[in-house]
Amino acid sequence: MLKRLTSRALVYGPLSFFVLISLYPLIWLLFYSFKNNEEIFSTNVFGIPKNWRFENYNNAFGAFDLLAYFKNSLIVSIGTVVFTCILALMFSYAAARMRWRFANASRIYMTVGMFIPMQIILIPLLIMERTMHLQNSYLAVIVPYVAFQLSFATIIFYAFFRSLPYEIEESAAIDGASVYTIFFRIMVPLVKPAIASVSIFVFLFSWNEFLIALIMISDNALKTLPLGLLYFQTQFGSDWGAMGAVMVISTVPTILVYLLFSEQIEKALSVSSAVKG
Amino acid sequence: MTHKAKYNLALLIFTVPTLLFFTVIVIIPILQTFQKSFFDWDGLSPATFIGLDNYTRLLDDDTFWVSLKNGLIFAFVLVVYQIGIGTLLAIALSSKGLKAHKFFRTSYFVPVVLSGVVVSQLWIAIYNADGGLINSVFAMLGFNYEQAWLSGEHTSIWAIAFSAAWHNLGIQFVLIYTAIKSIPEHLYEAAKIDGAPFWKMHWKITIPLLSETYKFCLIIAITGGLNAFQNMYVMTNGGPGNISFTLTFMMYKAAFRSGEYGYGSAAAAILVIECLLFTILINRFLAREKITY
Repeated sequence: MLKRLTSRALVYGPLSFFVLISLYPLIWLLFYSFKNNEEIFSTNVFGIPKNWRFENYNNAFGAFDLLAYFKNSLIVSIGTVVFTCILALMFSYAAARMRWRFANASRIYMTVGMFIPMQIILIPLLIMERTMHLQNSYLAVIVPYVAFQLSFATIIFYAFFRSLPYEIEESAAIDGASVYTIFFRIMVPLVKPAIASVSIFVFLFSWNEFLIALIMISDNALKTLPLGLLYFQTQFGSDWGAMGAVMVISTVPTILVYLLFSEQIEKALSVSSAVKG
Repeated sequence: MTHKAKYNLALLIFTVPTLLFFTVIVIIPILQTFQKSFFDWDGLSPATFIGLDNYTRLLDDDTFWVSLKNGLIFAFVLVVYQIGIGTLLAIALSSKGLKAHKFFRTSYFVPVVLSGVVVSQLWIAIYNADGGLINSVFAMLGFNYEQAWLSGEHTSIWAIAFSAAWHNLGIQFVLIYTAIKSIPEHLYEAAKIDGAPFWKMHWKITIPLLSETYKFCLIIAITGGLNAFQNMYVMTNGGPGNISFTLTFMMYKAAFRSGEYGYGSAAAAILVIECLLFTILINRFLAREKITY
């Protein structure tokens, strides 16, 4: 009995310790978003705020155009997801299910983006976007995001299309269905789990991407959330409470989305690793 | 139109846009970066070919060696914390009869959904030299270990890397945890009958079966570490001096701050070679054959 108790403690102890490490910084952030500088760094570092300074949130909302940054990030992320899925689905279907000489070679060609860090294209990309006057537009970031996410997306979709039985298309073709009907009506609906998985990943990636957005977008009205946060930091960096409030406001929606969809997100993660292994 | 022609037309419609787009935005720029790394170029006027000069200049540049070392430290911290601790947590959590699975899993994963910039800004406050969270914990415990974490010569890159490791522990944890969950129970039965101790059983059975998962995890962790940029950009701006530079940061500074596009391209080229090298090594040393149960 005692042995059982200690072995339980040996399991629960470390597990709980890392819960503390993962969550306490976030709770600490929530607390300090209601404190002033003195409380945050000297008089009340760890605990619940003694008096709740809601004015931090007022100041934050006043100076930080959260809605605009959110809107920009949403447009960029949804645009990236939609274009990535359309292009990758069409290509992967052709590579996995249609008969042509370069099917395999072109599939391997498309995976290059997985093994190459995205930064390498940044310098030529900037020159390209400069000559095409694409800088400071949503497309300035959507185009490179889509191009680099294509590799990951085609790997996942290809694996899914390959796993479907060939009889599906054969019987549809006998019924006189065209390639397009087979693709849109039959094949795409069959790989919905893969589409969900790819969408979640591509969305998270574009929601958080920083370096390309930093180089391509300088117009404040088009900045995505990460850039907006950085801008706020340079303006109000010494007011830690208001800074904390901005961080909380910009984080709460994503945490809510995660708590709502946590099962799907975890499933999506394991689907993609299983495919890639 | 004949059936054959229709089929070929569909094939073109399905493949050409994607292949063309990928080639123009990814492949050609990659080649241009390598090409431009042999040029002296300010991004505006015509480039002059200078052979290997950018590369020899890199080898003489102290910042290059600091950047290279920092990338390796960053990758090391990610591997140890995310894969090492992630494995221990996943094994512990998959032991039978444990309560509150969901709570533990969710807790480890929550930081993942934060924006990277928020994480960096949060950890600036945590590492703050005057009364930041870490120094306050040390003060409370009575250790005389308080310091300026982000500006210390020996602590800066480790501190930045740890904040990144903290951010994405959940991804690696979930990958490893789901892989462990898919190992069939009967593989452990013989070990249990022999009375093998808990950790030994997992060392001998679980870890070897995870080699495919580890391959994937190692590639994300190591290339993620070598590529690091946003963390130091927000937390220290590479400084003080050059102590928290990485190769991406070096490329950024050279190209977009000093207008030395050729030199920046050389730094980017080295980064790509480094990432490819690690990917090849990982693929070589971890089992290639797929495991089926």
